[in-house]
Amino acid sequence: MKKVVLLFFSLMVFARAFSQSQPVSGRITSGTDQQPLPGAAITVKGTTVGVSSQADGSFRINIPSQKATLVITSMGFLSKEVEVTGGQKDLVIFLSENITQLNDVVVVGYSSKKQSELTSAVTVVSADKLKDVTANNVGTMLQGKVAGLQVVNSSGAPGSQPEIRLRGVSSVNANQSPLYVVDGIIGGNYDPNDVESVTVLKDAASTALYGSQANAGVIIVTTKSAKSGKTRFEAKISSGFRTADFGKMNLMNSNELYDYQKEFYRDYIVGATDNSYKIDLIKFYSERPLELRNQNYDWAKESFKAAPMYNVYIAASGKTEKNDYYVGASYYNEKGTFMNTNYQRINLRGNSTYHFSKKLDITNNINLSASTGRSYDYMDMYYSFLNMPWDNPYDANGNPVYVDGTSTFKWWSRDKINPIHTVQNSDHTYKGFDVNYDFMLNYRITDWLTFTSTNRVSAAFNKAVNYVSPLAAGTYHNDGYIDELNTLNYGGISNNLLKFNFDMGDHALSGLAGIIFEGGRTEFSGGSGRGLPIGLKVLNVASNTQLVNGYNLTTELRSFLSQVNYTYKGRYILSGSFRVDGSSAFPESKQYGSFPSVSGAWIVSNEEFLKSNNVINNLKLRASYGVTGTQDIGATRYLGLFSLTTQYNSLTGAVPYQLANPLLTWEAKHQTNIGFDLSLFKRINLTVDAYRNDTKNLLLQVSQPLSVGFETRWENAGNVINKGIEIGLNTTNITNKNFEWVTDFNINFNNNKIYGLPADIVKTGSWSISQIYRNGGNLYEFYMPKWLGVDAQTGAPVWEKLVYNDAGEAVASEKTSNYAEATIQEVGSALPKFQGGFNNSFRYKSFALRVNTYFNYGNKVFSNNLRFMMNDGHEPYYNQIKLPDNAKVWSGPGDTEATEPSPQNSANSTETSTRYLRNGSYFTIRNIAFNYTLPSAFAKKLNFENITVGLTADNVATFSNFLGQDPQTTITPGGFATPGVSDFKYPNNRQYLFTVNFNF
Amino acid sequence: MKKKLSSICVLLLLAASSCKDLTVTPTDAISTETLVTTTAGLTNALNGAYALFKDHITFNGIVDQNNMYLRQYYHLSDFASDDIVCGQVTTDPLFYSFSLGHAPSQGNTRYFWYVSYKIISGVNTVIDAVEKSGDQDAAKQQLLGECYFLRAFCHFNLVRLFGKPYSVDPSAPGIVLRTSLTDEAKKPRSTVSEVYASVIADAEKAASLMTQNRGVQYASKEAAWALLSRVNLYKEDNQKALDYANQVINSNRFKLETKTTYPNLFANATTGTETIFCVAFTAADDYGKFGSIASMIYSDGNSGWGEEYASSSLRNVMSKHTEDVRWNYIVPAKDAGGTVQKKNGIEMYYISKFSFQGGSPNLSSPIMFRLAEMYLNKAEAEAKLNQTSAALNDLDEIRKNRGLEGSLYGGKLPSGYTVLDAVLEERRIELAFEGHRTYDIFRNKRTLNKTYWGYHLAGLKETDIDLSRAPSGYPNMTVPYTSNRIIYFIPVDEVLSNPQVTQNP
Repeated sequence: MKKVVLLFFSLMVFARAFSQSQPVSGRITSGTDQQPLPGAAITVKGTTVGVSSQADGSFRINIPSQKATLVITSMGFLSKEVEVTGGQKDLVIFLSENITQLNDVVVVGYSSKKQSELTSAVTVVSADKLKDVTANNVGTMLQGKVAGLQVVNSSGAPGSQPEIRLRGVSSVNANQSPLYVVDGIIGGNYDPNDVESVTVLKDAASTALYGSQANAGVIIVTTKSAKSGKTRFEAKISSGFRTADFGKMNLMNSNELYDYQKEFYRDYIVGATDNSYKIDLIKFYSERPLELRNQNYDWAKESFKAAPMYNVYIAASGKTEKNDYYVGASYYNEKGTFMNTNYQRINLRGNSTYHFSKKLDITNNINLSASTGRSYDYMDMYYSFLNMPWDNPYDANGNPVYVDGTSTFKWWSRDKINPIHTVQNSDHTYKGFDVNYDFMLNYRITDWLTFTSTNRVSAAFNKAVNYVSPLAAGTYHNDGYIDELNTLNYGGISNNLLKFNFDMGDHALSGLAGIIFEGGRTEFSGGSGRGLPIGLKVLNVASNTQLVNGYNLTTELRSFLSQVNYTYKGRYILSGSFRVDGSSAFPESKQYGSFPSVSGAWIVSNEEFLKSNNVINNLKLRASYGVTGTQDIGATRYLGLFSLTTQYNSLTGAVPYQLANPLLTWEAKHQTNIGFDLSLFKRINLTVDAYRNDTKNLLLQVSQPLSVGFETRWENAGNVINKGIEIGLNTTNITNKNFEWVTDFNINFNNNKIYGLPADIVKTGSWSISQIYRNGGNLYEFYMPKWLGVDAQTGAPVWEKLVYNDAGEAVASEKTSNYAEATIQEVGSALPKFQGGFNNSFRYKSFALRVNTYFNYGNKVFSNNLRFMMNDGHEPYYNQIKLPDNAKVWSGPGDTEATEPSPQNSANSTETSTRYLRNGSYFTIRNIAFNYTLPSAFAKKLNFENITVGLTADNVATFSNFLGQDPQTTITPGGFATPGVSDFKYPNNRQYLFTVNFNF
Repeated sequence: MKKKLSSICVLLLLAASSCKDLTVTPTDAISTETLVTTTAGLTNALNGAYALFKDHITFNGIVDQNNMYLRQYYHLSDFASDDIVCGQVTTDPLFYSFSLGHAPSQGNTRYFWYVSYKIISGVNTVIDAVEKSGDQDAAKQQLLGECYFLRAFCHFNLVRLFGKPYSVDPSAPGIVLRTSLTDEAKKPRSTVSEVYASVIADAEKAASLMTQNRGVQYASKEAAWALLSRVNLYKEDNQKALDYANQVINSNRFKLETKTTYPNLFANATTGTETIFCVAFTAADDYGKFGSIASMIYSDGNSGWGEEYASSSLRNVMSKHTEDVRWNYIVPAKDAGGTVQKKNGIEMYYISKFSFQGGSPNLSSPIMFRLAEMYLNKAEAEAKLNQTSAALNDLDEIRKNRGLEGSLYGGKLPSGYTVLDAVLEERRIELAFEGHRTYDIFRNKRTLNKTYWGYHLAGLKETDIDLSRAPSGYPNMTVPYTSNRIIYFIPVDEVLSNPQVTQNP
């Protein structure tokens, strides 16, 4: 009986224990952005009990006892253990991102690899980290997030794209922008909302496979695809506004200008003996009546207004046995801060992969986008900055006032132009339509051999119209003007590869070989005319001066490529690649170039002696060497050409256009990289790379003496070495159930030197701003007279004149007020010494805060608009910039404090010199994002699985000593711009957005 | 499936190896090698050389509407003279011609230098090709002659702006001569006299080669003679200047406009009876406010900036004869009450020699050589050869046709005048705003006198202006021919890229 009772009791206990199995439910969320994490594995520690989270991140699991420990793992995140009690509901478990992502698959050059297998310097940025910034392009989103990537937002115009440089500037006249590869194919269109991840390939180990197009690095964009079986919807709505960021370009108001202009009335005639040096107030008041003080109109404020922007994104994705699909639609609308400027874009993407059999997959991706917007006329912005505060832009009825040379009322500004009136009566519209279709076939011939063919056809049509109504004052008054430019662009690319993969115990061998064809054509056509009836804006109604234009450009590239990777015991990795490109850019004998690379890695942490180490989670040493090239200089640069684009007396004219260089060939960049990845305590990830990139046979437009009738000749001249160090540090400073603090820091020191030039080259651009290319010198080194301030006795500007000895060495420095005599000298480069980002994210329960900053140090910027806005009376009818606090206009002989020359004795003071060359260093709070995830119960009530709301502020503050608009300035040579020269640019934007994200 | 795929691979590989021609040809340009092989190509190249006088071509990566050969041809010479007054200070380098604040970096001289040599480079290509071909037919010889003419004309215009006057210092540095395609890119300046020798040789060759009359929009034998007359006059080879002027006059191809037709000459240059050579602008070349020659000196309110005016100095000289039809090209801007308006205190007398072709305020076909100049060259040469009455008769030839038939010299010199004074005064009035005045003053070793109100006076304020008296105390009111600032600095680009070139003091 006792036994029976004992048995019974045991059964009871067992039953009790059995019944103690209790449910726990909740949601798994990314700690970084509060987004639900589907497919995370949840297991009970010490058991085999496990489930996966659903599309909305929710899970439900039974624990065998009252208390248990759940282990949650998800790819790309650090696994986490959580103590739970039976019956707990609405658990929210945050996972921290695992930055090392060792097992994540990274898309690199024509194939994918596990992060751990990489031998090259690669940075992956997930969509999570990009989306704090809402923009129409990925580049802006990447600023400060990738070591070695310099992002310059050189214009704030709606729809504008930033300039991006990787590891400094290693080409000059050839394209310097990284190559974009979208879903495995070079080029391509996509919407930032559709981006799953961005991979930046930095060294030759991975870029050499892109050969001649990868000189400036490669940015690989992967668009979204289905993650889980269940159909998932996502919607994101952002809305907010932007304001113009004028930086330190504070213009004078009425009173300030009034007082400043007194300086023009100083009784001083150079060379005269009876100067009193006093301000002649009688003359001043007679020319500048006191009432002017009451006329205070802020032209910039009238021309730049806060502008709304919004972005809507809806996507659906899902997976069936045979088919994966993703459909995304987004609409982006941005008004410009300057009058009558805007940009909007609609983008549709459909990605689908169909699994015909275990062997055959076919992917069809299509991206359609249409955009439209309004640009602006530079002169309108110019006048918005320079018109004087004494002129009222509006008439008595509040309409923009019309002013021209026949106007009888007093107009103080330099030119009789009211930009507000002009803008109201003109239009600079553009429209574009773009379609990309990708067809990819993946056929596993055997278990070790796969054939893949990835192909894209693309076509784009863009149209730009400039229209000026006959009502606008100026050149086209009473006449009107219209021009149109249509650009049709189409092309195709086909990559055909055989990939193999052997796994033989300790040895693993993989690789690929294939051929690529690439071709494109752009056709331009347009027309212009004058004499328009009021209100009509088509070419057909132009009654006079009708002109037409049109031309085509064709490029072709043909390539063979191959790659082999060998791994031994998962510790030693060796990789080699070889690509041959044939390009239509070069003469027949120089069309083919070869681009090899070798690289290796040693995963030290996989060695026996470190395997059980708890401190070092990962240590990998990497080294690579390889060659990339550049051919992207435009077609037929090697030919001697006469252009046929002009006429004389209505007959065709041929004008010398280009000097021949039958030897023109590839620019080759020899890249060496060594680095390591180290991860400690599962909390600290450090990546350090050092590189030396030697660009040989630089494709350079070599300045010619103008007396040969040409400005430049394309040559392979000289070499440039970029050396640098990149450091990326990611630390999880604090992490616990409720609070988490993660820091990302990256920095890139870069130094460049030119060598091997047969002679110095001085490039002189607009406004006679020169830069010198000299052996041992830097790229973009400004070359101009040095400003030494003001002659205390005469008030004249003073420049430095160096005295040279017979050996050509400067032995003494003198001062001169004769500009033509001043020594032209090297005064600093437009390229920074270092730049990087420092980003912090904090999470407390359902709140998350991320602060991204970006810094840039050691470059010079020529603030060219100061030529107009600090002009010493050379243009008395332009408004002026508020002079810095320590500035003082010369007031009489012996004025040693003067910094600005006497308006009476300022010959050549606004000519190019270091007077307007400023330190371009800055630190900017790029972005602050604050997110809150609504309680899931609340979301569920509204039939959503998840709702996140966020507030973001972009370009919050910039700290800089730069005088002018913000110091972010173009670093691309050519066109209107000399690298590092800042003109009246479309101001960058401060942006404030409210975002709501729904998942259902 | 496997087979299919393998065959696709094979096909693709075959395709790759079969299309081996990667060559792409430009769609709106022609290679120099091809161009020179056809007559059409050479003709196009010559047309292109003419076009460069009027086109705004890309410089420093952009098309700047300020940049046009002829715009700067006039600005750089006439804005420095006493015929045009500045009504507005500006940072535009055109101001330096008034203020003499020259700089090697000024944009207008840089472009002028560049485009001049582009014209020369184009014609050198044609000359080289035609001479190598040995082609002797008249059309080819005419083409060749026009090329020589343009080379001479461009070199001459450069040496006038960047080298001292021949009469002042023939051994002074001139400009870089480009007479061969195979020259080294880096080359020193030739002396002024070397440049003159080359110009004369080219022009003489041009005259001997050209036998066709293609219209005044193109160079001709007579245009070459006219150039030779001008160059020799500057060189003070007076007999030759006189002879070449006579050759033009005696060709009977041209006739002086009369007092009734003269006011229409400049709007109708291509059909004018006096035009020897003009640069043809068509309606397509109407560049409007930003890019035309006229826009700085004329405006209908909207058509131009209209900031530079006919000077009081010139108007005073002309004031003796209100009946002179040459007043037609000086247009006062009057307000509703009929008073001449002022800009910043300066009276606005617009200049209309570059307007009204086809009625457009900004369009004209600027005349490079016309018959009146031949009479004036002749008169000046005669004056210097002490043939006073011949000189005065030649002046009368002009005066007869300008409404001054009542005020002819009749061989008698007015008191207080030398014969050269009379010639230069007539020359000043007749050729005003046509790019002659400063050269005429300085090559005759005279002093430029700008003692009148205008913004060439450094530090001038509007309230300083008192039109009832002359200004005093300002620097640079007079410019002697010995001044370094009668010519411009060699552009900074040339000096930096061609170290063999020396800078002007």
